Amino acid sequence: MALRELSSLEKYLGLKKPNKYSTRGEKKVPVLQNNNGPSLVGLVTIACHLVKEAKRPELLGSSADDRAVVQQWLEYTITKLQNCTKEDTKTILKDLSLYLRDKVYLAGSQITLADILMYYGIHAIIMDLTIQEKEQHVNVTRWFDHIQHYPGVRHHLPVVVVLRNRIYTSRHH
Amino acid sequence: MGFGDLKSASGLKVLNEFLSDRSYIEGYVPSQADVAVFEAISTPPSVDLCHALRWYNHIKSYQGQKNSLPGVKKTLGQYGPAGVADTTTTSVPTTKDDDDDDIDLFGSDEEEDAEAARLKEERLAAYAAKKAKKPAVIAKSSILLDVKPWDDETDMAKLEECVRSIQMDGLVWGQCEYCSNAAHAKLVPVGYGIKKLQISCVVEDDKVGTDILEEQITAFEDFVQSMDVAAFNKI
Repeated sequence: MALRELSSLEKYLGLKKPNKYSTRGEKKVPVLQNNNGPSLVGLVTIACHLVKEAKRPELLGSSADDRAVVQQWLEYTITKLQNCTKEDTKTILKDLSLYLRDKVYLAGSQITLADILMYYGIHAIIMDLTIQEKEQHVNVTRWFDHIQHYPGVRHHLPVVVVLRNRIYTSRHH
Repeated sequence: MGFGDLKSASGLKVLNEFLSDRSYIEGYVPSQADVAVFEAISTPPSVDLCHALRWYNHIKSYQGQKNSLPGVKKTLGQYGPAGVADTTTTSVPTTKDDDDDDIDLFGSDEEEDAEAARLKEERLAAYAAKKAKKPAVIAKSSILLDVKPWDDETDMAKLEECVRSIQMDGLVWGQCEYCSNAAHAKLVPVGYGIKKLQISCVVEDDKVGTDILEEQITAFEDFVQSMDVAAFNKI
């Protein structure tokens, strides 16, 4: 799973030569074999490395504050989203919905690595939501719809159709 | 289309609602649409309009590059939810139900109703006229009768004559199926030299029933022993 996310991220970053990955352990932690240096372990570590390699530092946050928030959400993605139960899902959606109420992106006013990895991580959860649940977490749905349509982000994942309150406002499409 | 008056609270409310499930006015990237609406708002939306405020702050972050954003600026009335009166191009004051969302589920559209009723009436009249012109279909039946004589000495010609003498409104005796002679029916041997008369007729269902026919035919007691309906077909 993590490998596909990394290859999608590579495509988004426009890295020409794909890196070689392997997985380690039961949890399939991705490992990047580096030619000149020690191998990197862990999704977030590798992702940050890729961003730096692609010379897109703004994806890690443009200000000190943003950088901190990006790291916070990256950690959240790894610790909360992986192997979460149904109960966890509810909490995550509630957390996110509240957080995204007044935000367009997770950190700052432009897309960051946190948005991308969060999108990859939460995709499976959003896929399983009913229309009612999507409406209930409208802030998450809005953010999700935004990110999945952000040019270049969505590669290996199918589009989740977000219906906009079709009972009364189908004309808003 | 349009948000109504974006300077007023009601207009901002529409904008807030509109942006609850959107990040931008149009599409998934900031565009001139956002700039146009942004410029129409004089002050940041209040905190309770969280969606509008979020969007406002987000677009504000593009201030430096607002001229390079994609898209062509349209008039303000071209954006936003459908069904809200566009007050930006006309001087007509907003109608009182400006913020009364766009759906009027139980709204009356009497004009349409009247039109529909008129149309329906016209069609009904046309249908009735057409129906009146068309002659009513008369239900008819073709009946094949078996008339049995008393014995082999019964005069079958006389018997047939008797049967054919029955005259009723809506009753037409059939012709002989071999020689088209009206005075000739078919004689079918029954046995011991006895023959039965098989004769067909066409009746109008409303006027002639088999009961009446049987009654009339068996009235010729001298010749007729009994009578059966061999076949009865609706035409």
